Amino acid sequence: MKTIEMTVNGERVQALVEPRTHLADFLRDHQRLTGTHLGCEHGVCGACTVLIDGQPARACITYAVQCEGSEVRTIEGFEDDALMNELRAAFSREHALQCGFCTPGMLIAARDLVLRLPGAHERRIREEMSGNLCRCTGYVGIVHAVASVVQARGASNETPVAQAPTASSAPRFTPVEDRAEEKRQSASPVGAGTRIEDEVIVKHPLERVWAAFADMPGVAACLPGAEITESAGSSVKGRITVKFGPMRAAFAGAAALERDEAAKRGVIRGAGQDALSSSRARGDITYSLSDAGGGSTRIALGIDYSLQGPLAQFSRGGLVKEFVGRMVAEFAANLDRRLAAGTLAPPPAAQLDAGKVFWKWLWSRIKAIFKLRRRAL
Amino acid sequence: MKPAAFDYMRPRDVGEALKALRGANGEAKPIAGGQSLGPMLNLRLARPKLLVDVSRIDSLKEIKDEGDAWRIGACVTHAQLEDKALPGCELLAHVARRVAYRAVRNRGTVGGSLAHADPAADWPLVLAALDAVVRVAGPAGSREVRADAFMTAAFTTVLADDEIVESVRVPKPGAGARWGYYKFCRKTGEFPEAAAALLLDPERRTARLFAGALDRPPQPLDGVARAVAQEGTASADMIAAALARLAPGLGPAARKLRVTAVQRAILQS
Repeated sequence: MKTIEMTVNGERVQALVEPRTHLADFLRDHQRLTGTHLGCEHGVCGACTVLIDGQPARACITYAVQCEGSEVRTIEGFEDDALMNELRAAFSREHALQCGFCTPGMLIAARDLVLRLPGAHERRIREEMSGNLCRCTGYVGIVHAVASVVQARGASNETPVAQAPTASSAPRFTPVEDRAEEKRQSASPVGAGTRIEDEVIVKHPLERVWAAFADMPGVAACLPGAEITESAGSSVKGRITVKFGPMRAAFAGAAALERDEAAKRGVIRGAGQDALSSSRARGDITYSLSDAGGGSTRIALGIDYSLQGPLAQFSRGGLVKEFVGRMVAEFAANLDRRLAAGTLAPPPAAQLDAGKVFWKWLWSRIKAIFKLRRRAL
Repeated sequence: MKPAAFDYMRPRDVGEALKALRGANGEAKPIAGGQSLGPMLNLRLARPKLLVDVSRIDSLKEIKDEGDAWRIGACVTHAQLEDKALPGCELLAHVARRVAYRAVRNRGTVGGSLAHADPAADWPLVLAALDAVVRVAGPAGSREVRADAFMTAAFTTVLADDEIVESVRVPKPGAGARWGYYKFCRKTGEFPEAAAALLLDPERRTARLFAGALDRPPQPLDGVARAVAQEGTASADMIAAALARLAPGLGPAARKLRVTAVQRAILQS
């Protein structure tokens, strides 16, 4: 708990809050100022918009502790504000609200717009108000209401675009710098759907690689961030730690290996749960070996994966796919490196730490390996 | 929509912030405006044990004219750049005005956007095109990283757990330089589906074109930039071929959208 002090609607307030209490909850639950509404609670809908030190801000993604010493003004704090009263009248007149849930946020955003952009025309008003969602009105009434207040105040300071669009008449020149874009190309493989494929060629005969792949703990340890806690025959138990920007998860679970001797194909089926978020992940890694000639073996890797639970709320599938693609590439690089070293035995514990140092080291290794691979191909 | 419990501290200076981050063994996250981290905390996608609030550190909030470049502190907000055009770098105000919504721009910061490294964010793309240099503060002092090499993958940068972005140095393009910036957003202020940024600087003889909003960091379309500098245009086929090499996972519709964003950025310049 932290003691915080701030000004709310002109009055000094002091309170004991948890750092995770966001400003909107603080205003509603601690200050009983329920005019600040909560819609989406992750910064999208704008219903919770208040003024912090005179500027509109989302109260749901600003924590109360961050407002120490600030001046906060909520919809209740505009009783004597002439401009807000004009806007209120305009909202009533133009039918700019129905259920009223978005209205406090709308009014605060609109007031800021009117003050900041005198003479704003309809298109700009629509653009500026786009951070506040309304599910009743279709926005027409809201735009009319704001436009009427803007017009009543007169005077425009809208500036024209910064440069005239005259691409064809721009001077021609030859750039001195020509960094070959191929050189900076990323090596991560990307496949369709939730299946990702990659391929690696190792300079070891097929039989030897096939034999090495039977070593389940050794193969599993090639997964970046994996930690094997228990192993028995073709199955292992352990944990895989992943870090994706501010997101971290440690999926604890088990994996088992199935092999098709004749086809030189295998599948590692793994599933685990992140204790902290209760998210579940499942992934099947398939590998298929073939002779690449000259005593080398081609390893075709594929992964099918799925994610369920709170972490699956992260709705940017493409990014997760790219991330899993990088993991597959790292897995391939680890296999290659470990086979080259003559063993698939698990590396020293320190290397299993998915920390930044390991990550960086691994990344540089992968880059080196992939450069070599391209030349070899 | 309530975040998991975390501790919070507000260091007075960069040194104190770094010390706090170092002491947390990777369990801390720096927070500035919190406009990207906040939603992730509320959704419990991110669950750091400690937030280190760097937003009140004065040295991170300065905008300085260094003659041939502008130095922008990590905690300068998008709204500050929107409201104050920096002579020679007018593109910054143009871009800032289009970042999310005003209520977000008032708190979100340039350094935070870089460090968060969302591939669809505006600054990683634009600062790469402008050939900016990121100054990173860490335990061994400051180091500089080119903006086009700062982000290594989606949500991943060269920053270590105990490093923060200190400032960004944006070179002023030469007289007669032209730029283009285009992004496709389904709705104003949402993350774009496709984006491109171009800088043509005849005086310095540099042409930089980057495609953004991919599943990976902004990608340099050097060949296309060169063609635009020399001939004033580049064919859709050439752009599509470059994108196929640099972002091979794109489906036909996604690629088309990106080709068009690049073409519109070129047309704007």
